[in-house]
Order: sequence, then C-alpha cells, then structure tokens
Amino acid sequence: MKPLKIGITGVRGIVGETFTPELAVEFAESFGTYLDRGRILVCRDTRPSGQMIRSAVLAGLLAAGCEVVDLGVCPTPSMQLAVKWLKADGGIAITAGHNPWQWNALKFVRSDGLYLNSTQGEELLDIFHQGEYAKAGSDTIKQQVQTADAIDEHIKVLHENFATGVIRSKKLTVAVDCCNGACSFLSPKWLTKLGCEVLAVNDNPSAPFPHAPEPKPENMAQLRAIVKAGRAAIGFAHDADGERLGIVSDLGDPLSEEMTLAIAAEIRLRKKAGTVVTNVSTSSAVDIIAARHGGSVVRTPVGQAYISEGLIEHNGVLGGEGSGGITVPEVHLTHDSAAAIGLILEHMAQTGERISDLVAGLPRLTILKHNVTVAPHRLYSVLQEFRAVMEQEGLEIDATDGIKVTLADGWVHVRGSNTESMIRIIVEAHEDAAARELLDWARDRIKR
Amino acid sequence: MRAIPTLKISISGVHGVVGQSLTPKLLTRFAEAFGTHTGSGTIVIGRDPRTSGEMVKHAVVAGLLSTGSRVVDIGVCPVPTVQLQVRHRRAQGGIAITASHNPAEWNALKFIGSSGLFLDAGQARELLDIYHQGEYTKVGGAELRTVEEVEGATDLHIKSILDVLGPLPKTEKKLRVVLDSCNGAGSLVGPKLIEALGAEVIRLNTTPDGSFPRPAEPLPENLGDLCRTVKEHQADIGFAQDMDADRLAIVSEQGEAIGEDYTLVLATLFVLGRQQGPVVANLSTTTAVADVAKKFDCPVFLTKIGEVNVTDAMQLHRAVIGGEGNGGVIYPRINFARDSLVGIALVLHLLAESRKSVTELLADIPRYAIVKEKISCASDRIAGVLRTVRQEFADHQMDTRDGVKVIVPDGWLLVRGSNTEPIIRVVAEARSEERARELVNDVIEKIRL
Repeated sequence: MKPLKIGITGVRGIVGETFTPELAVEFAESFGTYLDRGRILVCRDTRPSGQMIRSAVLAGLLAAGCEVVDLGVCPTPSMQLAVKWLKADGGIAITAGHNPWQWNALKFVRSDGLYLNSTQGEELLDIFHQGEYAKAGSDTIKQQVQTADAIDEHIKVLHENFATGVIRSKKLTVAVDCCNGACSFLSPKWLTKLGCEVLAVNDNPSAPFPHAPEPKPENMAQLRAIVKAGRAAIGFAHDADGERLGIVSDLGDPLSEEMTLAIAAEIRLRKKAGTVVTNVSTSSAVDIIAARHGGSVVRTPVGQAYISEGLIEHNGVLGGEGSGGITVPEVHLTHDSAAAIGLILEHMAQTGERISDLVAGLPRLTILKHNVTVAPHRLYSVLQEFRAVMEQEGLEIDATDGIKVTLADGWVHVRGSNTESMIRIIVEAHEDAAARELLDWARDRIKR
Repeated sequence: MRAIPTLKISISGVHGVVGQSLTPKLLTRFAEAFGTHTGSGTIVIGRDPRTSGEMVKHAVVAGLLSTGSRVVDIGVCPVPTVQLQVRHRRAQGGIAITASHNPAEWNALKFIGSSGLFLDAGQARELLDIYHQGEYTKVGGAELRTVEEVEGATDLHIKSILDVLGPLPKTEKKLRVVLDSCNGAGSLVGPKLIEALGAEVIRLNTTPDGSFPRPAEPLPENLGDLCRTVKEHQADIGFAQDMDADRLAIVSEQGEAIGEDYTLVLATLFVLGRQQGPVVANLSTTTAVADVAKKFDCPVFLTKIGEVNVTDAMQLHRAVIGGEGNGGVIYPRINFARDSLVGIALVLHLLAESRKSVTELLADIPRYAIVKEKISCASDRIAGVLRTVRQEFADHQMDTRDGVKVIVPDGWLLVRGSNTEPIIRVVAEARSEERARELVNDVIEKIRL
C-alpha cells in the first residue's frame, strides 16, 4: 500500500502517487460544504506540487459556492491570523510541513484561526465519506478568486506583542535558514523590522528544499557555518510552513528540536509563573523547568489542536511540542515560529543573556527518537500488541496518546504517527546510556 | 427508460449543468485523461465569460498539471482564439471551456488536438477510454510543471487576420458596424478588430460579465435589438456573435436579419473573388453557397453535419473556404476553425471592396428560405423514420450520408436524427418560406410523428 493519510488532521500523501487532484478537489468541496459555503482563505508553501493542489482546492471551494481568498505562498500561522482579520469562516493550508518535498497535505482551519479539533475533524471526514457536497449553480457561483496579503499584517501583530524597541536597540546579528520555504517571505522581513543584521540563507522560495524541511540538528550544518562565520548571536531554522523552529546557539551548537520549548519555557516562566501546555511525547525537561519557577505543565495528546484547547482550558502562558513548534498565546493560539523568534530575541535584548548561557543552565536529558515503518493497516494492531506486552510486564500505562510508560530511569512513549505510516518510539532518560537501553527495550517489544 | 438531461459526454466534449452534473471532480478527471492522452505536453486553455468559468478552469488546471502537462492559460477569449494558439505555439492540445449557445447554467469542455482542430470521433473515443480506465499519468515533485497566465492572445488573433487580409480599403465614409457580442467571448476583441480594420463600431452587449442579454444562438428571432440598433444608427451592417464567438450572423443595413446561412454565402463570395478553389459546406447548408461557387466555376463538396466533418473535407479537397449553415465560417489561410472574427473581416472587406450594401450584394444571389423544425422522437425510432422517408421519396435524387436529404424540383429537404437529444430534425429549403414550410409539413405528415 502506498502512503496516504486521511484523518482528523486532514489529508496527506505523496503527489504523483496517492495524493491526486481529485482527492484535493473533494476535500475542498467537503470543507466548503462543512462551512456552509462561507468565505475561505487558501495558502500554500513552496512545494513543487503547490500550484496543482491549489487549483484543485480553488475548484472544489468555488464549486461548493464559497467565496475564496487566495493568500498565495505564506506561512500557515500567517493564514491563521488572516482568518480572523479577514473575518473568514475558515482556511485551507496546502503544506506538508516537515514532510519531504514529494509530499503535500491539506490542513483545515476554522473561523477562530485554530485547527479543527478531533470532533470537527471527524465531522469533516463524514462529509467526505458521504460524498454529497454543496453545489453552487451558475447563478450563485463566485466568478473570481480574490487575493490578499497576509504577511504584512502578521508582522504588525508580532510587532505589537514584543518589546520591539528594545530589540531594535541591540542590533543583534541573527542567522536564519528559511529552507526555501514559506518563511522566506516572512522571517527576513520580521528580523529586519527588529533591527537585526540578518544573515539569511535558503530564502529563495523558487528554489527546491535544500535539505529536509525539519529543523533538526542533522539539517542545520549550513546554518551552523553561517552562525560561526558571521559571529551571530543566534541562528534560527525553519520548516516549510513556519510552525516549527530549530535553534543554533551563539557558540555554533545546533540544538535538539526539543530544546526550543525548553528555552521558551525558561524565558517565559522566569517572567511569570504559569501553566505550560505540551504533549505527552515531549521531554520532561519542561517539567523540571516549570518546577523551578513555580509553574506547572499540562500534557495533551500529540497535535496542535490539543495544545490550543489546552491553552484555552488552563489559561496557559506558553504552548509547545518537542517537535519545535511553539505557541505564544498573546499572538495566536497556534504554533508560530516567528512569534517564538520574537520571544527569544526579546529576552536576549532585555537581559543581555547569551543563548548558550541560558542553555547551559537547562536540564540535560537524553531523548532518543526512532521511527518504525509499519504497513498502514497494521498500525493500530501493533500498538495494541505493545500495550498488551506492557500490561503483562505490570507497568502503568498512560494512554493519553498511544502508550506511554514511566520506568525507574526514564519514560518510553510509543504512538502511531498522524502524518506518516509509522510507529514513533520516543524514550528519555537522564543519561545517554540509559536512554539507549530504554530504546532497545522498547524496540524489542514492538512486533511489526 | 429515463435519460438524465443534464450531462452529455460525446464527441463534442463534456457538457453539464453547473451545480448538478458538472462537478469539479468530473472535470478534473477529464483533464487528467486529456493530459494523459496528449502525453504530458503543453496545453492551451481558454474560456468564455460564463460565471462558472473560473471554477471549471481551476479544475482543469489541477487535472492537467497532475499529469505533468504544462498549461498556458490565455484567459477569456473566443474558441477560435484557443485553436489558433494551439497551432501557433505548437502545443499538444487545447481545452476550450464553453458551452457555446447553451443557456447560462451550462458549461462544458471542448477538446482540441495539436492540429488546432476539435477531436474527431476516433480521438474522442480514445480519450473516453482513458477516462474510463482511470489510469492517468501521475507525476510528482520534480516533474510537475507550471500554469502560466498569458495575455495578448486576442491581439495576436487580430494581427493574424490583418496580416492576411490587411485593413479595409478606404471608402468615402468609414463603414459603420453594429456588433452584438451577446456579452460573450467576442465582447472585447470584436470591437477591437473592427476598429483595427478601419471601421466604426457601435457596441451592443459587449460586457463579458457572465450575463446572457439574449438567447445565445444568433438566430433571427433573437436579434431584435440588433436589427433596431442598425436602423437607429443607420449602420452599414450588423453582426451577431454567440457566447464563444465561433458563429456569426448578419443584419443588413435595412435592419433585416438575413439568416445565419448567408454568413457563409457572403464569405464565399468574397474569398472566391480573390482566390478560386474548392468550397466545402454541409448537407444542411443553403444552396446559395453552391450558386456562388458556380459563378466562379468552383466545385462544392457537401459533408455530414458537424465541424469535424467539414474540416476533414476541407483538408482533403484543399478548400479555400468552408463552413456550415449555422453561421460558422472557416477560412484556412487564417485559422482552420469556425471563426466569427475572420467572418467579420471577410464580410467587411466584401462590403468595402464591392462598394455595395448587404441588400445589394444579396440581390445578385438567389434568395432561399430555410425552415428548420425539430420534433420529439426517441432514439430507437429514428431508423424507422428514415426508412419511411426513403420509401416515400424513392423516385427522387437522395443523399443518405447523414439522415436522408431529398432533392425536389424547387428545393430540398433533410431529415436526420440527433446524437445529443431525443429529436428528429426536419429542414427544408425552397424559394419562399411558404413553400419551404409546405415541404416540412409534408414530410412530418408522411412520417406521422
């Protein structure tokens, strides 16, 4: 079977294989039907299949009777903000985020700029499965697609939420790798507005992805070189659509993507105690940090919609995931790498602290991640079998999302991916050796 | 048996009603089939101003791009402009998004081959096979190409016409022309062409906003406003286009709609005056075309009804002019397609060079009346009807290539079924309307429908 993921977070697949234009057309019709033919925004990242999927989405939305506003290529968080100020009923982001360039996906956003929650995702899927869509006749169909720019307004909102004046006064040297993705239109502009000397690399949206669009250390070699050569105070790595952020320190150290949340939590909680919302698969470092500052941590299943809802429910001061996605609630309740950049640079400017020093004071745990490819129809069975093994061994199970077990020297979390056909194993311990042992232990207990 | 009235997939393309049978998924899949059929080459697309045009266009673009095709979108323009661009760009094909004279709730895809001609029956069958198979060329990532929006296709069309015919010869007074574009695809390019030729244009229904100011078929009964406007402004001639600007009808300086058959007659008169050669029309076209050809000693070849049949014969016989009785004029020197813009240019040149009015020109040509009727008839009864006609007129000269055409001493009659509707068409031509109607009624009685 070829990889195709249709679920509550949308539809995702490889273009040229399972992600066909008809699929995109029908999902767009479904969404238009779900939102009662309202005003819907469309944006995309820089993947080569973006144009083709865009046309399919526009056709589906128009056919369902929607009023369509095309934002062109822009980061997903820019579109999510635009849904609010353009008073739209929803939006579709055509982007597969951190997946390789052959992939594309549709992500669905509702009128408050948040992703559909799991109930809403199911309702949308029901419409898709039913196959009966709203259909506009020639007398009501919209004759043209409108356009709008979401980037400048996004920068305006960011500007209002951080101590921009202070940041400008420091004239920080900042390196940024936009991965030739949608952030090419946003980040250099935002950093310039912050008065930084910008060392931008891979900021050409017409060029292919220079590396996998995931801000992990293995993809940060180029950024690291620029940080060192340019003596930058910090380096930022983007994914393809502006949700996740990776960091290279002033010493040229590419940090694990888990560190982004740890850094953000430390910065935030130093200023005011509060609740940090994260998922069950993220490092325990954030718990240690919260405890230090009299804050607390709430853990949800993996997926942005849960983080957003958790922030609302618990009045959280920060959201984030071990993947590098950070939510700064006062900007918007979804991941926004540009907001994370604002938060971090604001701290550096206000305190003069170097990022490497801040990192040195953070708890160092070892987190190991391993993916096991599983046939799509076996994903659930494999998880159930693992659960049975855990129960047999008498371990207490946290079933918030997949199976998480806490052991003497760390924890193990096993879950199916929402976006690819694989089982993700994540283990954490205080030391490398212990972590490796945990990983082996977990792998031994997974039967494909 | 109950047929669904709102979806038609045939050799003429895919026709459906927006919001009912014409869904974006159907459109995207047909575009994928076409992209597969044409080998992922360059495809030119254009559309008429119907309200659903944008939706249909995006569905088509998605389907084409997914097969690895490169798409050139020339925007809102006449169908003959799309055909011209396909040849000009040496593209592998084209898709015209238009439902011609169907009412506003319809739209359609018409497929054009690399020759710039619509697909013939064999090619259309191949395309439909691919569509049914459902296995389309699918490319990913690096092999995907782009869609490019291109302007200036209609300017190029005007240039193509002027390059061959030149501007109108100087006349004492500029020719005054009223153009009724039905708010269709000819709305902007039509007036531009007329002015480029050196005539004065008065615009009627030239706002391409998707509205239908009148039924789109340029039949005399739909041209009341045009006739009035010609008289009001004392114009030399009036032209009426349909929605996609391939067909053309003429109104004389007297404000008389001369009948869409006579468009080809006048075009033939002009062309043969410059260059003699074979003429092609269809079995349903007025005899006046043959009368004009005879004046110049040129042969006439009649074909089955349908543009593809006419163009095939034109290629075979190296015709210098051809067309159909529905107002479609094909002048290969400029464009191998029914082209209302070419028709306008030919007829205006005829007026300017002959220094005669439309009425005067027609006075030199036998005037006939054509009466066309259509009667409900289930498709499985058509064969029986045609057999009856053959029996009834057994002692007359007959042509049975397309239904039955019977030559009577003072005219002819034609009885044929339709592929697209459950009807029988009865057409007769004679010297007077009265007589033509008599012929029609006689046949209808004989076939007892």
